Amino acid sequence: MRRRLETTAWFMAPFAVILAAWAFVLPLFEVNPRLFPQLSQVIEAARETLADGTLIQHVGASLVRVAVGTTLAIVLAVPLGIAMGVSPVISTFISPLLRFFSVLAGIAWIPIATLWFGYGFGAITFIIFNAVFFIVTYNTLLGVSTIPMPVRNAALSLGAGPLVMLTEVLLPGALPNIVTGIRTGLGFAWRGLIAAEMIATNVGLGYMLFVARDFYRTEVIVLGMVVIGVLWLLIDRLVLAPLERATIERWGMVQRA
Amino acid sequence: MKGLTLRHLSKTYFDPYSGTRVDAIHDVSLQVEAGEFVSVVGPSGCGKTTILNMIAGFLPHSGGDILVGGKPVKGPGPDRGVVFQSFALFPWKTVLDNVAFGPKMRGVARAEREKIAREYLAIAGLSEAAGRYPSELSGGMQQRVGVVRALANDPDVLLMDEPFASVDAQTRMTLQEELTRIWAEKRNTVLFITHDVGEAVFLADRVVVLTKGRVLDEIKVGLPRPRKWDDANKDPEFQRLSAQVLEKVRAA
Amino acid sequence: MILVWKIWGAYVRLTARFPSVATLMPFVPVVGLWALVAHLELFPKVFFPSPLDVWRSFIDLTWKGILPDYLQDSVVRLAVGAAWGMALGIPLGVLIGMNRIAYRALWPVLLFLQAIGDIAWLPILVIWFGYGLVTMTFVIVYTVLFPVVLNTVLGVRSVPPVLARAAQSLGAGRWSVVWEVILPGALPNIITGLRNGLGYGWRALIAAEIIVGTSGIGFLMFDARRAGSVVEIFLGMIILGILWYIVDSWVLAPIERTTGQRWGLVTR
Repeated sequence: MRRRLETTAWFMAPFAVILAAWAFVLPLFEVNPRLFPQLSQVIEAARETLADGTLIQHVGASLVRVAVGTTLAIVLAVPLGIAMGVSPVISTFISPLLRFFSVLAGIAWIPIATLWFGYGFGAITFIIFNAVFFIVTYNTLLGVSTIPMPVRNAALSLGAGPLVMLTEVLLPGALPNIVTGIRTGLGFAWRGLIAAEMIATNVGLGYMLFVARDFYRTEVIVLGMVVIGVLWLLIDRLVLAPLERATIERWGMVQRA
Repeated sequence: MKGLTLRHLSKTYFDPYSGTRVDAIHDVSLQVEAGEFVSVVGPSGCGKTTILNMIAGFLPHSGGDILVGGKPVKGPGPDRGVVFQSFALFPWKTVLDNVAFGPKMRGVARAEREKIAREYLAIAGLSEAAGRYPSELSGGMQQRVGVVRALANDPDVLLMDEPFASVDAQTRMTLQEELTRIWAEKRNTVLFITHDVGEAVFLADRVVVLTKGRVLDEIKVGLPRPRKWDDANKDPEFQRLSAQVLEKVRAA
Repeated sequence: MILVWKIWGAYVRLTARFPSVATLMPFVPVVGLWALVAHLELFPKVFFPSPLDVWRSFIDLTWKGILPDYLQDSVVRLAVGAAWGMALGIPLGVLIGMNRIAYRALWPVLLFLQAIGDIAWLPILVIWFGYGLVTMTFVIVYTVLFPVVLNTVLGVRSVPPVLARAAQSLGAGRWSVVWEVILPGALPNIITGLRNGLGYGWRALIAAEIIVGTSGIGFLMFDARRAGSVVEIFLGMIILGILWYIVDSWVLAPIERTTGQRWGLVTR
């Protein structure tokens, strides 16, 4: 417990220094607020946008899009990946295709998505879906095909039927890869989200930043950047990384270097 | 060639888990003469590797002196060559470049240092392996390279830290015989750390028994050189010395 | 059924001899399906062009010189950004990996800056540097930098301390240890970092070209989107995919394999 506190303290210390410099040193210089805001202005902006509810609205819109797009993608990608991964023939044939589309994942789909779905929820959710779907499918397929044949044969000879095979062998065996895929995919999706929101909508974090730019409201931009950073750190450190650790390291399926 | 002197050497460190001071080494004094081969033998945890690490300069010592040729030791340096239990070859360098590393650090030109390296590789019968990477060699071969790499730097003192502990028994005996042969040629000052009594006696001029951070006893080994395991196994003097050392180690 | 297996067997033998066949062949049915769907006009033609339309547009744009120019712009931007990212990232990573104070001071900040993500910087960069090359280069350097730094730190810390000791006892000084031991030991990780960094940097480039660009493949696509010209969007996507595929599997992956595996640092 004391160790944890100590680690946290060391982790926070550099930020405390930066904030202190921002709060006390920057005001000593005449910085044009149209180029970089004072800390007090950013706090004021945070208070203001929290009070009138716009910050919550933007954050909410962004998170809903990510949640919907990601959930849809995972729900479709995992079964598809497992189905294709079971057959070595199909998986070797299909994997270059999946790699090609994972490479395109996210941002490259913005132009076509906005053309197909128009500006708004549909296009952005599609972009997120896309970023997650192909990478997760590819990783699931990879995960299933890396389950050693003896393990599958052992399950069969112990009397596992197709359903048991799926829930007891294929899914758990591919899980570490699936989780890694989700983590990578979400990383791309998050960036894609911000980029898409700058172009293709009228609500969301990316939109908030981009509109603020039109009015040179740097304090809102910086606030938005901090929110984006904190949100991603929370998602990545509190949800994805523990999930990855729990599956991968616990099962000892990957040796740490 | 220079001798190695340890005078009232001690090591204490602070254990953050128990929150107490631990005495790892108490007052060890030892003189290794120039050109002498000394084995240090003792049970695991007796502090022998700690002593070697302090001589090599990897760990600071708490008290006493470490002298090479009368000069105190400060940090790691090329006057003390080290052969590691884990070989510690550079995986990204070929065998030749590994052996030529010491001369390179001295600023020897490429052609010259490669010539030196090839000479030493030839002594250990490794000429064929010069262009290969360590990962492509067997454990026994890797440690031959480790020994040759240390020797090619022409150190005043050679420190060997259980160098043959992680190779198989058959190879170990071959390596031990090779070491006595090479040593007979080069006559370096050697401090050899091991927990294997037979190995200690077979290689050394003198065996030092270490326990709980103290020197328990020293035993002179006057066996003729070059030594072979076939001869040693039949030699009653070797048997007697081994039994004597083993008794001391057990009493530890 | 037997015939199917015979064909598959022949295909496997063919791909063993010519690995590129295995990469290209799966795209044949996809393109075929694409052509069929376009031909049947299941979707309106303005939304879904046929492969032939895209091919014509490719020839057309190449002939006019627009495509080669844009492609060159994008690739050069990426290369310049990657070079800067490495030039800054590797030394920084070595410093953080070897020095406890630097680690404590910088590591949390790095994690946070990485979390902000390149694209969120675009609005303020536009205010600072305007629309143009500086903004774009900044974004790419920013994206490449963090994976390189983070992986270099991991790499530096994964070098067994005994190797540094071995070098020291052979007479290596501080800088020799860094140059001869730490850097080569961290190299496989550094390359992995570069590979990840380029993966992100390349996406950032496209986003930057879409949002603030005046040339490049991303700009081509978004310009086409404004004009409602779906053919060129398709063309842009295909080119992006192929380009990255080539860079990743013909350049980065082989480097990663040869260093790591020959040295026995990475097990397959």
